[in-house]
Amino acid sequence: MSIERRLRIVSLRLRSVFRRREVERELDEELQDHIERQTAENVRQGMPPDRARAAALRALGNIELRKEQVRDTRGLRWLEELPRDVAFGVRALRRAPGFALTVVLTLALGIGANTAMFTLLRGTLLRPLPNRDAERLVYLRQSAPGAQEQNVLFSVPEIADYRASAKTLGAIAEYSSVLPFTLVGADGTAARIRAGIVSGNYFDVMGLAPVAGRLTTVGDDGPAAAPVVVLSHRFWMEHFGGDPRVVGRTVRLNDRVSTIVGVVQAAPDYPRPTDVFVNTVTSPHHLSATMVTERTHRMTEIFGRLAPNATVAQARDEIGHLAAAMFRAHPEAYEKSSQYTIAMLPLRDAVNERASLTFWLLMGAAAFVLLIACANVANLTLMRGVGREREMLVRAALGAGRGRLRRLLVVENLTLALLGGALGVLVAWAALALLVAFAAQLSPRAREIRVDGVVLAVGLATSVVAAVALSFLPQIGGEGAAAAPLAPAGRRTTLGRGRQRVQRSLVVAQLAVCMVLLTGAGLLVRTLAKLQSVETGVRADHVLTIELPLDGPLEVVVMNQPANLARYERLRERVAAIPGVGVASLGVSAPLRGSLVDFDVKAEGRAAAPDRPTPHASLRTADPAYFTAAGIPLLAGRAFASTDRRGTAPVVLLNQSFARQLFGDENPIGRRVAWTGAVLKFTPISDQWRTVVGVVGDTRDQGLEGDPTPTMFEPFAQEMVFGGALVLHTTTDPASLAPTVVRAIRETIPRQLIEQVATLEQIRDETVAPRRLNALFIASFGTLALAIAMVGIAGVLAFSVSARVAEIAIRMSLGANARRVYRMILGEGGVLLATGLAVGLFGALAVTRLLRGLLFGVTPHDPMTLGGVALVLAAVGVAACWLPAARAARVDPAVVLRAD
Amino acid sequence: MSKPNDLVQGTLDLLILKMLALEPMNGWAVGQRLKQLSADVLQVSDGSLYPALHKLEQEGWVSAEWRQSENNRRAKFYSLTRAGRKQLQIEAGNWDRLARAITAVVRLQEA
Repeated sequence: MSIERRLRIVSLRLRSVFRRREVERELDEELQDHIERQTAENVRQGMPPDRARAAALRALGNIELRKEQVRDTRGLRWLEELPRDVAFGVRALRRAPGFALTVVLTLALGIGANTAMFTLLRGTLLRPLPNRDAERLVYLRQSAPGAQEQNVLFSVPEIADYRASAKTLGAIAEYSSVLPFTLVGADGTAARIRAGIVSGNYFDVMGLAPVAGRLTTVGDDGPAAAPVVVLSHRFWMEHFGGDPRVVGRTVRLNDRVSTIVGVVQAAPDYPRPTDVFVNTVTSPHHLSATMVTERTHRMTEIFGRLAPNATVAQARDEIGHLAAAMFRAHPEAYEKSSQYTIAMLPLRDAVNERASLTFWLLMGAAAFVLLIACANVANLTLMRGVGREREMLVRAALGAGRGRLRRLLVVENLTLALLGGALGVLVAWAALALLVAFAAQLSPRAREIRVDGVVLAVGLATSVVAAVALSFLPQIGGEGAAAAPLAPAGRRTTLGRGRQRVQRSLVVAQLAVCMVLLTGAGLLVRTLAKLQSVETGVRADHVLTIELPLDGPLEVVVMNQPANLARYERLRERVAAIPGVGVASLGVSAPLRGSLVDFDVKAEGRAAAPDRPTPHASLRTADPAYFTAAGIPLLAGRAFASTDRRGTAPVVLLNQSFARQLFGDENPIGRRVAWTGAVLKFTPISDQWRTVVGVVGDTRDQGLEGDPTPTMFEPFAQEMVFGGALVLHTTTDPASLAPTVVRAIRETIPRQLIEQVATLEQIRDETVAPRRLNALFIASFGTLALAIAMVGIAGVLAFSVSARVAEIAIRMSLGANARRVYRMILGEGGVLLATGLAVGLFGALAVTRLLRGLLFGVTPHDPMTLGGVALVLAAVGVAACWLPAARAARVDPAVVLRAD
Repeated sequence: MSKPNDLVQGTLDLLILKMLALEPMNGWAVGQRLKQLSADVLQVSDGSLYPALHKLEQEGWVSAEWRQSENNRRAKFYSLTRAGRKQLQIEAGNWDRLARAITAVVRLQEA
């Protein structure tokens, strides 16, 4: 067909739909014109005028019929008839409110779950990053698996080497987030903020644009530049209300005055949440010799932009070669046993790394729920279709075209599906806040989640596809041999053999999908239970912890040693006096939270095994009461005493696993250990020998999953004080005591920063929270699926019973008793159930392997879970069969047979 | 006995296309011209004329526009489109073949 003709046809069709009245008027006018002309012609041939007109009209025939014929040629009659069809559909559904309600709710749940998950997926994983040409950005990660280090970051000399040699990377941007900064605004209020120290080219490489002012440039690099601040979009909105006049203002960052030069567009917080971006001159440490020249002083993350024409694979290859050469050239900086290695990820993958698996799994689970929902609705439609077959036959016999009948069905189903879809979208919309909270635990892009046009369109498309698919299930009069039975007044109540098979397969599929979903849920719930039973190593109840950081940069803080110690002692004494506080203790950080620093350790008289990584431990400090307050058991030796202070003999406590790592089965008490390693010299911490005076229990400071972190404790009063936390054992409820404690601290030192006020129970819960949500989501999908599937199996059996009432009656009159009938119907359900479970078992075995990364303490094919789920499904399934079976057994043959 | 002016099914389209190939005209004129040219043998019923014209229009073979006619009244004038001209050739070819075939059969010498 030529384009010209096609266009002509389309414009005509559009006209007949949208300019219907005009088209109709023209048709009137045309026919009128014809009559006039014909009348004139008849008169010319000698007829009297009145007869001439009548003849003209007669020749044309029934004008309304002609118009109807003309309308037919327009080919879009279905659109014109749509309102009538919709009205008809709604009327038909009103007559079957139970059916309509079930279908709408089922679809609402299915579509709602999908819309919600799609919203999540789209906001975080699917939408392109806001960065210009984001697909050309890569993130580099240096790790040392041999030393249990997932990400050791990069040092300035390393970055310089890569920058000088890598041809596949057009530019490399640096980002480092050191210790928190304190930002003091013009009004004197202080806030702790998370600052990212970036190279001048950072924003240019990352492809981000300013929304106000300017971003940093290479002119902001180096020691001579003026300190500048670029606000993140979020911080700008939250702190400055999005006021563009903030540009040009000065703020105090730690001890120097910086100028806010601009605000960067909203972008995901990666690798870390960042409030403000500052240039290197803002952090004196970044200009120090150690930072600039030491190859092992690694504290910078790097991002690269691929050179034109270079691919990620090429870049990965080249960086791999450069790294290998670097490891050979500087063996002292890359210990062999640590197995240094470099990975390169497209930025998008890096940002999505943690969320990807979970979100896709949830999306899959939601899709399964929709599948079950559709299968169920399909079954309901099939059953209703049987009842309506007669209606369809009558309509067909009265002249309704097959297309028209199909259209009626489509319209009916569309009405249902769109109602369900709308309800579903509402459900998703209502769940949005929960979704965002959940997503925020795994993805830095959670803030971008919203229900937008695309999400709505997908919800709509899902509904429409479901509706159209459902409309082609029931038979329509005139199709195949079904037209014949209209004549005898008999009522057909059963489905054809083929459709029965479809119906049964749908039930089996529902059960199988249920089995898969519930197994997934079961595994996640078991994971949660396992995690919750992990010993944290502390007595979690009745312990309140409060982080009390020192204001200012580390290198200044360490200069005030006696004052810092006195400050914390004062706070501790004040808090200890509060009624309800049993034991008040100090440490550099609270138990169950990560520690600030870790170093290599050597033990006197024990050579480190050459094939094993050097022993490495977290440094924590604690006062004598710390272990009592947190309930960490002393396993050997003595705890710290108040005499372990500056100037007395240096002592340490080891945690159990580190003691075992260092000394094996030997008694560690009295042995001497020392911090060591290349990094130590950048810190004020001494490498002197320290005597081990005791061993304490392990605590899970890095989550509940990993091994206990090797830890070496020093007395709080003996080591540099560069921060502190109060650990309080309370005699009353710790959470309700918190406000009193905070008030007391404020009274003692008004400008003291107070952070992370939390009970140990809360800290512990935080680490399990993402998994709890995982389990919650999958479990609710599973339950949803179970409910829907049970309605499905009960419905099919009930239908089967009502269709077979006559048969059952005959069987009973021939001697079958109620129990036999019971068994027959239960058996029918049982076969479906057993098949569904068997198929589901295989499905579960195949699918749960994907879950491996989310599990802890259970294998993906955990027999307990599989068995339990099968049992639950079987029990619920049998219960669902019971009702219809009981009904069948109550059939009274005398009544039924007489009725027919 | 059937009426002699009964049209062979499907030929109405061909006839209308041919009429419009001569010159653009309105619906009434198409009927009149057909009668005249076929010396009243082909009488298209006025009733079937308009559905046929509209169908050809919807198919994109004929285009319509409103013009002032000779008696200064608005009338709908139909003309052939490029696609319509092609369609006319096809249908005329089909008709030729059909007519030749029927003629050949009808003229068979009876034994």
